[in-house]
Amino acid sequence: MRLDEPKVDRFNVVERVTHWLVALSFLYTTLTGLALWSPRLYWLAAVFGGGPTVRGWHPWGGVAFAAFFAFMFRAWNRQMRLEQDDRRWLRLAHRYAVHNEEGLPEAGRFNAGQKSLFWIQAAGAVVLISTGVVLWWPETMPRALRLTAILLHPVAAVVAIGGLIVHIYMGTAAVPEAFRGMIQGWVRPGWAASHHPKWYREVTRR
Amino acid sequence: MNTTLVKAISASPAPGPPFGPGAAKQTHTVAKLIDTTTCIGCKACEVACQEWNDQPFLIGAFEGTYQTLTDLTPSFWNLIKFNEAEQEGHLLWLMAKYQCMHCVDPGCLKACPAPGAIVQYTNGIVDFNAENCIGCGYCMTGCPFDVPKLHPRTKKVQKCTLCSDRVSVGLEPACIKACPTNCLSFGTREDLLAKAEARVEALKDEGRSESGIYNPPGVGGTHVVYVLAHADHPENYGLPRDPAIPWTVALWKGPLKWLGNLVLLGGILGTFFHYVRYGPRRYKDETG
Repeated sequence: MRLDEPKVDRFNVVERVTHWLVALSFLYTTLTGLALWSPRLYWLAAVFGGGPTVRGWHPWGGVAFAAFFAFMFRAWNRQMRLEQDDRRWLRLAHRYAVHNEEGLPEAGRFNAGQKSLFWIQAAGAVVLISTGVVLWWPETMPRALRLTAILLHPVAAVVAIGGLIVHIYMGTAAVPEAFRGMIQGWVRPGWAASHHPKWYREVTRR
Repeated sequence: MNTTLVKAISASPAPGPPFGPGAAKQTHTVAKLIDTTTCIGCKACEVACQEWNDQPFLIGAFEGTYQTLTDLTPSFWNLIKFNEAEQEGHLLWLMAKYQCMHCVDPGCLKACPAPGAIVQYTNGIVDFNAENCIGCGYCMTGCPFDVPKLHPRTKKVQKCTLCSDRVSVGLEPACIKACPTNCLSFGTREDLLAKAEARVEALKDEGRSESGIYNPPGVGGTHVVYVLAHADHPENYGLPRDPAIPWTVALWKGPLKWLGNLVLLGGILGTFFHYVRYGPRRYKDETG
């Protein structure tokens, strides 16, 4: 790689570290949670130290996730607000999916898909954490709460993991170079101008 | 070693019926019959249970009743509930032994995510295996009778075993052995249901027309069956009126599991084939 390669800063180091702490804690809680989701995935419990260990540590993984996510939320929630253009973008999202971007509004630092994912994961996190607390200490919780939590926790988890699958795909294979933005923190100017034109203009104007 | 045949195992495929020579043999299911009309509340069954299972005797707070403790605990699996109720101007003082009901369709086993932690034997006994229990407490939520209790230190859930260790070697449960009035009896479920019906007939002949059997159909029936003098109000005995596996548990372990797996698998396959069909998003560098 050339030293003088033109770069646009995409995510600063605090954003990157926060993102990856969220990612790691989410991954751990997902994999340990999946062990308890289906008997066919119970082998994951062996990978993470056995059933009782998984049961003991999964909630703490959730606590870590909650803390990191809260920090990330505070940093990004203003930039994630859905605006007029974003709503139009979402209506035409099917075009984005097939690389026919005619009529698609230009994206800012985050496109409407990324913003939607942020809010879906935020809602998922709230449900997962609140129901998770109930499931953590079943012996102290009222029965009605437990019955609700036992249903909502996996529902929210499926939604969140579904979002994660799409997110990982978009961040790696579907959008080459995006990954470097989150690892090394920079992207090529051409990439920025193409994927996030509004943001690129803002950045270069400065 | 417990050599009883297995009917269902938590979070595992059903073992299926036995095969080979002699497989057609009818195996009897067992049951415990509790005739509350002859219970005198002596608590001998409580003592026998603690003795046989090597459990400590616990000291509870006095709550103004004769009840030993307010509820079952991880090391106290058999409780005589003393309840007072008023019916048509009469005070009823009702005593009913409370323990695991050994449901034909056990909600605990349905809710359990740990393979082998809960086992249902072909004789009908539902047993917890501590070595496979992970202490999640889902069984406590799946149980419509609120019976399993989580041990705070060992993080294992405990409950009445219907003395599966004794039954497997041809003995009757410890509580049955201790009962001085024969209000407790043990045998094949078929025999005991017939006995219960005969007893209800006799009670009705005596003019106790509200008598009946408590064998709730919502959980497929139970292997612990009651004769109640006031069967129209089981809640007066501290027994739930229409117990069933909670619908949220049934939904979670049924359709939701399929739907969830479909979403997750669909997500993985969907993104993969999206790549195969459309490939990555490319761009032309127009920044010079």
